[in-house]
Amino acid sequence: MSKFLLEAKELRKTYHLGRVKVPVLRGASFTLEQGEWVAILGSSGSGKSTLLHLLGLLDECDADSGGVWFDGKPVADLKFSARNAYRNQSVGFVFQFYHLLPELSVLENALLPNMVNAGMHWFSKRAQAQQHATELLDAFGLSHRLTHRPAELSGGERQRVAIARALANQPRVLLADEPTGNLDTRTGGEILDLIAEKHRKGLSIAMVTHDPAVAARADRVVKLVDGCVAH
Amino acid sequence: MYPVQLANRYLTSRIIPLIAVAAVALCVALVVIVVSVMSGFLDMLRASGRTLMGDVVISYPIRGIPWYEQLIDTIEKLPEAQAATPLIDTYGLVRMPYPEGSEKEVVTANVWGVEPQSFNRVTDFSKALYWKPPASPEAAASMSPDDLRLKLSDKILNDGLNLVKSDTGEPGLVLGMHVSIANERMRNGSYRPRYPQWFMPKQYVTLTLVPISAKGTIAEPRERVFPVVNEFKSGVYQIDKNRVMISLAEAQKLLRMDAGTLYDMQAPPNADGSLPVLGTSPAKVSKILVRAKPGVTPDQLQTAVFAAYEKFAYEVAADQSKVVKAPRVDNMSILTWEQHLRDLIAPVEKEREMMRILFSIVYLVCAGLVLSIFWAIVQEKTRDVGILRSVGASRFGILWIFLQYGLVIGAIGGLFGVGLGWLVIHNINFIHETIGQDAPAWSYIASFIIAGISFAMSVRGVTTGVLLSTLLWSVLGFTLAIVGAGLIMHRGTLIWDPSVYYFATIPDQVDWFTAIITWCGAVIFSVLGASIPAAKAADIHPVRALRYE
Ligand SMILES: Nc1ncnc2c1ncn2[C@@H]1O[C@H](COP(=O)(O)OP(=O)(O)OP(=O)(O)O)[C@@H](O)[C@H]1O
Ligand SMILES: [Mg+2]
Repeated sequence: MSKFLLEAKELRKTYHLGRVKVPVLRGASFTLEQGEWVAILGSSGSGKSTLLHLLGLLDECDADSGGVWFDGKPVADLKFSARNAYRNQSVGFVFQFYHLLPELSVLENALLPNMVNAGMHWFSKRAQAQQHATELLDAFGLSHRLTHRPAELSGGERQRVAIARALANQPRVLLADEPTGNLDTRTGGEILDLIAEKHRKGLSIAMVTHDPAVAARADRVVKLVDGCVAH
Repeated sequence: MYPVQLANRYLTSRIIPLIAVAAVALCVALVVIVVSVMSGFLDMLRASGRTLMGDVVISYPIRGIPWYEQLIDTIEKLPEAQAATPLIDTYGLVRMPYPEGSEKEVVTANVWGVEPQSFNRVTDFSKALYWKPPASPEAAASMSPDDLRLKLSDKILNDGLNLVKSDTGEPGLVLGMHVSIANERMRNGSYRPRYPQWFMPKQYVTLTLVPISAKGTIAEPRERVFPVVNEFKSGVYQIDKNRVMISLAEAQKLLRMDAGTLYDMQAPPNADGSLPVLGTSPAKVSKILVRAKPGVTPDQLQTAVFAAYEKFAYEVAADQSKVVKAPRVDNMSILTWEQHLRDLIAPVEKEREMMRILFSIVYLVCAGLVLSIFWAIVQEKTRDVGILRSVGASRFGILWIFLQYGLVIGAIGGLFGVGLGWLVIHNINFIHETIGQDAPAWSYIASFIIAGISFAMSVRGVTTGVLLSTLLWSVLGFTLAIVGAGLIMHRGTLIWDPSVYYFATIPDQVDWFTAIITWCGAVIFSVLGASIPAAKAADIHPVRALRYE
């Protein structure tokens, strides 16, 4: 039994641009303990987002990769339904570019993972999910924005909605790709405080960042160099 | 639940679904209109073919069918047959009463000699007679106030039906509506003489027929003056242009097909110089029209009539008192009206095949259009698919969203399309007539005024710096200016020329079967168009979908 909550071994990812092979990850290994906050640093284009996507099962790594384990179980070759459940409940993903649904309101965007999870039982689960989401958005300073569309929000506000969405199903791991990259230092700090608050309550975090000040709040920092993780 | 909510959101929060609904509606309307007109046309041809010929036609054209009364009796006893009527079908010349002066116009005509009562039972002749008072107050109300028929009494109808001029007792003649060039078709489909004095039922025409002897040679032509007692309109232009009707007895007399004494040419003459009598030569007709009982198909009736004829021929052969025998059944032509009117129907069926092919192309083009509209809409949503997948939505959930999306747009668009098609089809003759007239002045004046306003708005757009409104207003302005100019130059022409098509009016009934099929097609292609790209996006990894540009 592995002591790691999330573990990736020897991940390889090669993009094919026509005939040209672009190896981005060349055997990157990564571990995250239960309750740990790890910051992933690396120069632009080093493959930080790629690594995070592989951890969130949003993309597929090369066939000769080691694999990804969550709570000691291999997740890379799960069935479709189990992968969906993993994305929905085990991890929460925050993207570099927000990725909110433009037709939905702020509240509905934040509720999306709940809706997906509830399926046909949405009506019975709705009130509780809504309360949780409203509290989160409230804490993020978005209480007056609940019915607005993403297009009406600032970049920082959008990212806060995205974080609320990632935390909707209270996942054990938050995978955040530069969540404060588009926020000013003060707001970014507030968001980090919130994340830190969740972290204190047991949330494990893998966070990609450029900002050493952000990285400093993590328990541990790893660097991505030449497609490998350097400790 | 989320697929329903998302589909609902996609449908209600943007303008694109409305455009898609409009596109689907236009495609469906196009198909419904084209097919309804086409199949209405065929139905009309079928209906009129039947009312003109009955269901089965027995013919023996040149020599004629002898003892036809007996044959008709035999046929009318058949359980399949409703009625039968004798007919002489020949060609002749009609000298018209116009123009003024001694050089009158002469036209060739297909002359039918009919026995009025039984003919009306087989073919609904009374419906085809044109000059008659309106059947009901409602029918009268729908006619234009200057319609000549409003002043008519039942006398003219009865004269037409009986083929006599009741004032004088003379045998009468009924002309096809388009035989006389004096008749003018009005835009509402009614007729009137170009000059009041050329109202045909008050005129006399001279009919010349050429009898043909038993040997097949032409005998001395015979002519006779007939009062025109009415005119008929079958709706089939080629018939209305060529056919005239007289009573069977008159036709038999003119063609020497009436009953007479049969002399023995070979035997030596009697003492008084006359030839010895062999028996009677019966009156003859060239055709017998038979109408089927309701529920009996022409094919069933044809088989029955065939057997009845065999029986009749056998009886005549066995009858010593009848010197003239009936022709053998294999020399007779016993055809259903469709077979008989082959010449008329074959080109239409060819046309229908052509239309089927053209229509399939139209349908496919519409299907392709609907498909590609949805493809483009959903393709643009690939990023959303990536987002949904990244929060754990299943591929079926994704598919379900867009399936509903296509379903709702296809169903609603299809309904609007059928409605639009119905509106156009229902008013198609009105639309056609409107197009057939010169544009009224208000129409181009209005379009020029609106064009002027549009240009003013586009200038305002330039000054306020709004590019889109400038563009849209000037496009509108130019379009209306061109429309206005087009309206000024527009000269009314009727596209549906009755001399090219068989019927004087365009069919105006919706083909509901096609409408339903087309609606289903619209739904299917909308759903396919929406779900294929959605399925494609759901199959790729979420990050790839997210990066989709
Ligand atoms: N779909 C793709 N096809 C081809 N190349 C790709 C694709 N996605 C990423 N890459 C390449 O892989 C490399 C790593 O990309 P990635 O987004 O992981 O970098 P990153 O470390 O997150 O950079 P940044 O800090 O700028 O976000 C880049 O050089 C990028 O060009
Ligand atoms: Mg990145």
